[in-house]
Amino acid sequence: MNVIEINQLTKYYGKHRGIENVSFSVEEGEIFGFIGPNGAGKSTTIRALLSLIHPTSGSATIFGKDCIKYGNEIRRDIGYLPSEVFYYEHMKVREVLNYSASFYDNVDYTRIQSLAEVMDLDLNKRIDDLSYGNKKKVGIIQGLLHEPRLIILDEPTGGLDPLMQQKFFELIRMENQKGATVLFSSHILSEVQKLCSRVAIIKDGTIVRVENIRDMQKHNYKKFTLDYRGVIDVHHFNLEGVTNLTVDESTLHFLFKGDINRMVERLQGQNLINLLVEEPSLEEIFMHYYQKEDQP
Amino acid sequence: MNILKQELRMGRKTLIIWCLSLVGVLSLFMLLYPSIASQLEDFQKVFESFPIEFQQAFGVADLELASILSFYQFALMYVLLAGAIQAMNMGVSVISAEVREKTGDFLFVKPVSRNRVVSMKILAVLIQILITNAVVFTASLIMVTLLSTDSYDVELFTLFTLSLLFIQIFFASLGLFVSVFLRRIRTVLPISMGVVFIFYIIHLLNETLKDEKLGLISPFDYFNLSEISKNMNYDSLNLLLWFVLVGVFIFLTFKLFARKDLPSI
Repeated sequence: MNVIEINQLTKYYGKHRGIENVSFSVEEGEIFGFIGPNGAGKSTTIRALLSLIHPTSGSATIFGKDCIKYGNEIRRDIGYLPSEVFYYEHMKVREVLNYSASFYDNVDYTRIQSLAEVMDLDLNKRIDDLSYGNKKKVGIIQGLLHEPRLIILDEPTGGLDPLMQQKFFELIRMENQKGATVLFSSHILSEVQKLCSRVAIIKDGTIVRVENIRDMQKHNYKKFTLDYRGVIDVHHFNLEGVTNLTVDESTLHFLFKGDINRMVERLQGQNLINLLVEEPSLEEIFMHYYQKEDQP
Repeated sequence: MNILKQELRMGRKTLIIWCLSLVGVLSLFMLLYPSIASQLEDFQKVFESFPIEFQQAFGVADLELASILSFYQFALMYVLLAGAIQAMNMGVSVISAEVREKTGDFLFVKPVSRNRVVSMKILAVLIQILITNAVVFTASLIMVTLLSTDSYDVELFTLFTLSLLFIQIFFASLGLFVSVFLRRIRTVLPISMGVVFIFYIIHLLNETLKDEKLGLISPFDYFNLSEISKNMNYDSLNLLLWFVLVGVFIFLTFKLFARKDLPSI
């Protein structure tokens, strides 16, 4: 069964494009990634699903019901964490969470306490005294406290330190194992790769493609930056899987896809000052991977 | 109910400050009464020597300052003005605050319909207006009773004081409509002050012009205190107009807000 089904969803803000003919579906029980660069239309899609905005054309259903028409019914079973969280500044954390819980039936209030312990959050602080990361934790707890069947995360990890990110991912995995479906939007590919089984990729308001994360991993690009002490031997890296090779004075840049051991071997004996291996930005992968894929 | 409770909680401090200010404005004027009561007849003569247009513009044309209710009428005008600003503030901010404070992403993803949120918020505004009126009514009743040397007309006093309720409800509903009509509201006070003062100036103009059509524009004219004291009642056409306008504003508030896109942060 599909928990989310989006059909030709289009949103224009006046003449300004939000999204155009977005269609994809999320199956029950999966963690579905939604990636694309900033401004591609991830938030617009999500806000339409939550009926915060009204689509220009097209439709979307959640749990088989139209998400505008039956919005308030559907939202009973949705937990949402926005990319930036704002709460009533003068309230205490506990008050905000209790207020949030008061909208749902049969909420287990002890869950607030236990989630706060996991996330290491002080419930007696006032919202306006919290740091950005701590506000985010409030957001996580209020998104999960009513044990939603569908969890929608819009770039959730910003502001969380790596340790908290880890805990957060564990929480999401646990909820998923208990049966929750997750829609996870992000512009960081590695994050999505860690967690999701399938992804939809959005660019300039349209879905580029939907695919399995395993297929994506075949295109596991790494971005190499090599600082040379002496003369650069460009031809040394002329092997399969190396692309976008550029030389900038004594620095060599390239993208590599393939068996990482081969590259390690090849790096041996090079006279380097510095070596940087990074996750390429999504833009770089997009530009690359799709240009190539779309050519026969 | 939880939304109502939340709204009342959040508005508590502001409400207390406004109530204190309104009572303060009223006391400031009313406490002048005992010290100048004996001279008021002289004042009256001075006023009467002014050109009639001037008297009308300052709202002293039909005033008999020597009686306590006339003096109260004079003082109440300023409470009406301030109360209108208070009510319009509440109306403009009650819904738009969720967008301005960026808490809309919290509230509107909860399993409640927008209509329900709007009704609860309107109810919260209404309750706060009723509290304000109860406070002002009680305070002015005490003051007028203590300060009056003779007996006074309680019915007229009630008609006078209740006009605050009508004017506040009018401006609150106008504020609600304005808040959903405008795309985004950054500051509330300039909007409500501006609108209230424009209506007040129209009212002052009409005190001199006495134009019937112009009188239909400003809610301060619907509840013109001098007219009320002459007729011992509210004007029924104006009352009807008030009722229709408030209804239309509230209806449009629901209608427009249900279709509104909430801007992302």
